[in-house]
Amino acid sequence: MKVLIIALARNNQINPNLANVLTAAHKISSVCDVLVLGAADLSKVTSYSGITSIYHAANLTSNDLLASNLTESLANIAKGYTHVLMASDSAGKDLLPRVAGFLDMGQISDVLAISSPNIFKKPMYAGNIIAEVESFDEIKFLTIRTICFDAVASSGNAAVVNKELLVDTDNKIQFVSEKLSVIETVGLASAKRIVSGGRSLGSKESFDEVIGGFAVKIGAAIGASKAAVEAGYANNDCQVGQTGKIVAPELYIAVGVSGAVQHIAGMKDSKKVLAINNDPNAQIFEYADYGYVGDLFEVIPEIMRGL
Amino acid sequence: MKVLVAAKRVVDPNVRVRVKADHSNVEIEHSKMSLNPFDENAIEEAVRLKEKGLVTEIVALSIGTIKSEETLRTALARGCDRAILVESNENYEPLNIAKIFAHIAKEEKPDLILLGKQAIDDDANQMAQMLAGKLNLPQVTCASSLDVNGNSIRVVREIDAGNETLEINLPAVISADLVLNEPRFIKLPQLMMAKKKPIEKKLAADLGLDLSAHSRLISVTDGEVKKQCKFLTNLNDVVNVIKANGV
Repeated sequence: MKVLIIALARNNQINPNLANVLTAAHKISSVCDVLVLGAADLSKVTSYSGITSIYHAANLTSNDLLASNLTESLANIAKGYTHVLMASDSAGKDLLPRVAGFLDMGQISDVLAISSPNIFKKPMYAGNIIAEVESFDEIKFLTIRTICFDAVASSGNAAVVNKELLVDTDNKIQFVSEKLSVIETVGLASAKRIVSGGRSLGSKESFDEVIGGFAVKIGAAIGASKAAVEAGYANNDCQVGQTGKIVAPELYIAVGVSGAVQHIAGMKDSKKVLAINNDPNAQIFEYADYGYVGDLFEVIPEIMRGL
Repeated sequence: MKVLVAAKRVVDPNVRVRVKADHSNVEIEHSKMSLNPFDENAIEEAVRLKEKGLVTEIVALSIGTIKSEETLRTALARGCDRAILVESNENYEPLNIAKIFAHIAKEEKPDLILLGKQAIDDDANQMAQMLAGKLNLPQVTCASSLDVNGNSIRVVREIDAGNETLEINLPAVISADLVLNEPRFIKLPQLMMAKKKPIEKKLAADLGLDLSAHSRLISVTDGEVKKQCKFLTNLNDVVNVIKANGV
């Protein structure tokens, strides 16, 4: 087995979920290679255990890093491996299926467990169903659901090898700009605590005041249901659920969230769930460890006073 | 500009899917079926571009059993001009769907292929990317807004940390995020009109493609984890739960 993990840098940072992808990779082989695309501080990455070589293609622009431009060179690199893994985040979901398709191979998305080098578990139907699938492909392309794997130990000392990557920029697509969230939700996927709000917040102002205020008070990241995002109360990048982010914090506090199937899909692996809702029959309580029935506009300020 | 859209037939999002007794697959034979919600977003966007005079024709493609004809009628009622059904009883994986799509795209030569970012049954989020890779076309996935300027489109793409803006030249493949738009309700006259619009049928087996399986479903299990909720009646207890979890 020869395993490669691909990680894209953003703002000179490598997503710490690489440590979780490594644990997944180690279920296939005790060592693997990592290919880092874009300029980044690799001091943390070199300490991760079980890496043979870190290939670093630092000299890439935002334009070079677009999936459309990277595909061909990555496809050539992939041919030297039996498994190519990426985190199932916005970069991995965009890039890896394209590389696989380019090579006429399939991909297994959102791998939750690795039964053997060619048998994997993945979710379907918003996580209500877990499927076990066998891949017949010569190269297994896998995106990893990182919350399902612990971070790898930091006892390694991997060598960094500079890599020249020829990127095919034929001007069919250009990077224009990026807008990163004002609210710090970058860490949503790895946050220890999350406060999530639903449509019951009633307005963007209430959402920011009640959910935002509560989250700041307890040092939590802000989440939102699909309904709250659709109503414009919260940014799309806060969305937790089948179509948003998949999270598994130590504590998940759902405030005024009804608990639609697609929301549950994004938070059901949380260690402890506290639900606050004025409807005692809200579905969210079926997935909560603790529940409180009451008007969130009265309850949240009261809780904040008690903390 | 000609647009090719997808219309996948999936189990209705409100149906709770069950595992078959032998765990071989899910039990969906008698379930209510719908047009994949993300494909609805893609179709809605194509129709809005047509209403602005930027699109001349919208062709909907579905790959599945003869029952997908019903899904295509919904797509036609939503404003697509004509439809193609590639019939097969096989439950193809995204790669093979992408191959069939690429085959039809080569025949139809659309300027834009606009698809839902994922289907709500397998949740794979692969097809648009695989298709773009196969056709060697530029791609933008998870689009939340489209601004057409002649032969290029300025697209905002949703990413984990916020969003990014990209300028993509046609022909191109774009996949729709949920926030791209809010699909309209279909009215009865549109449903009636859809019955008169043409659906061309082809058999997947006749396309001359290698559609052999690249993977096999071994088994499925129920992924649901219901908990026993402890209802608290005193807010001090709620505060203590939060404090006990590291605050």
